[in-house]
Amino acid sequence: MSLLQEEREIILSNEYVDNFDFAEVEDFVKNASKELFISHHFKNKKKMLVQPRGGFPTYKKQFALNEFFVEANVDVLPLTIDSNTRLNDYATAKKMLRLSEENEIDMLNGYPLVNHGYRTTRKMITHFNKPVSLRHGTPDARLLIETAIASGIFEIEGGPITYLLPYSKNFPLDKAFLYWKYVEKICANYSKLNEPINRESFGPLTATLVPPAITIVIQIIEMMLSLEEGVKSFSVSFSQTGSMNQDIVMGAVIKKLARHYAQEINCADATINLVYHQWMGAFPTNKDYAEQLINMSTVIAAMVGADKIITKTREEASGIPTKEANAKTVANTQYTLGILNGLPNIVDKEEEEILTLEVHAIMEAVLNDPADTLWRKAFNSIKSGIIDVPFSPHIINHNEMITIRDAKKNIRIIKRGNVPIPDRCFEYEKAQCDLTKDTTSIVNDIIHDIGIMQ
Amino acid sequence: MKVVTGVVGNDIHVVANRLIELSLNARGFEVFNLGVNTYLEEFFDAVVETGADILLISSLNGEAEGWSREIKLLKSKYKNLDNLVMMIGGNLVVGSADAETIIPKYKNYGFDLVFHQVDLNTGLDTLEEFLKERNK
Repeated sequence: MSLLQEEREIILSNEYVDNFDFAEVEDFVKNASKELFISHHFKNKKKMLVQPRGGFPTYKKQFALNEFFVEANVDVLPLTIDSNTRLNDYATAKKMLRLSEENEIDMLNGYPLVNHGYRTTRKMITHFNKPVSLRHGTPDARLLIETAIASGIFEIEGGPITYLLPYSKNFPLDKAFLYWKYVEKICANYSKLNEPINRESFGPLTATLVPPAITIVIQIIEMMLSLEEGVKSFSVSFSQTGSMNQDIVMGAVIKKLARHYAQEINCADATINLVYHQWMGAFPTNKDYAEQLINMSTVIAAMVGADKIITKTREEASGIPTKEANAKTVANTQYTLGILNGLPNIVDKEEEEILTLEVHAIMEAVLNDPADTLWRKAFNSIKSGIIDVPFSPHIINHNEMITIRDAKKNIRIIKRGNVPIPDRCFEYEKAQCDLTKDTTSIVNDIIHDIGIMQ
Repeated sequence: MKVVTGVVGNDIHVVANRLIELSLNARGFEVFNLGVNTYLEEFFDAVVETGADILLISSLNGEAEGWSREIKLLKSKYKNLDNLVMMIGGNLVVGSADAETIIPKYKNYGFDLVFHQVDLNTGLDTLEEFLKERNK
């Protein structure tokens, strides 16, 4: 038995998991409907795929949510996992699931997939016969991903950096890298049986003034880590920045550079998709404005040429959206996409050049780290501040980089910390901003800039 | 002057925490920022370790109330903290309540300055005035 298989046996013999039948699961994946694979839809699509967010504790409610979504013409169904499962606390998830089932109130903020098990969940997934995207936020997702694929979920979101730096204070980053390496291997192995399993990185990060260069570097690193293990279909992503021009520049550069770095590691045969998240920052409390903002996001997604868009709802500012609000936003987004035809092609050469130089400079510093593997290089780069995510709560992140918005609402770097932003680019970024102000005024600007959509 | 700051409990909301650090630095304070997800003991340990004059706790998701109940008891276990200025700010309840009920409650917990859903600069201006008055 291979080492990987031994590891799998140990992970899947968890007391909260019903008996795992590897041969049966393999057989299921081999014969699964092509419709369940998002990679199949990416390959044959004629339009941008639309995917909402959403997850409920009980099977019954999750089923009802999916029915609503299908009614609203969804292209990709979501399955959001509860926060106990994210922390591998299956005992609490089990208890809360029972309470939810017995009392008709939701005691979990998502679907506890491990507790429901793959035999049950597969019935739902195959019933709707639409691709499902697993949304979670788990540093150690090994058991979760085994259960997801066995259930018929063939798109897995997350990664060692993007599911850690925005969500955790002190989960060990080196462990996250190793646990995700396992996930990539499992996805790669199952990909050989049918259509490829798609992996998707989580580009929004902290959703607060993250400069495009940092987002792109992290997207590329997670993509490379995944392709290295044999994954053949990968989605890079980012969220609306608040500047239409910066979004369009970012879309162009991320597409170009993702392909470039895939080639660098001889993985040009993999398919790279682009996913765009509607505004992820603080939402306006005025629901009409929220709808305008969402509509604007859809227009920008079309302009950046996204392969998939992930939607928000008009209720975002006031708590967890209802299934009706979620379904409505899917229908509205589909409508907007349907009337957006023949958009102009906008190119900002200077901005593209600056951003490209920044990404290359940071990537060069990461790849020049003397460590022997890419994950160790990335680990060292985060530790030394070569990669620095503004507003990350994690202790390993340097938080030396400071960003503000310029007059056109572009996110600009005004303090680079240890991030190797080339001098020329740094001067350009600063030149777009009014830096004659005292520090207190600049801090006030940052406070204002975070709430750009208010 | 030295300030220890951080977000209390299992709260992971970091944006305001960073802004508090930046603002305090800009105002000339020496800042020891413990970041998010910080327990009360860690706050007091840091105050002792750094010899801080001010403890500024922040909270967004409402869990400060659960934690603050234990402050007096805990503080009494540490020596020489009588002159420590205790300040708290952010979103201080789960659900909604007005400042009139919240402020006395938190003062009773042992805080000198309490700010519920108040602009950061207003809070820090008040802190500076408070310090000026006290050092007269």
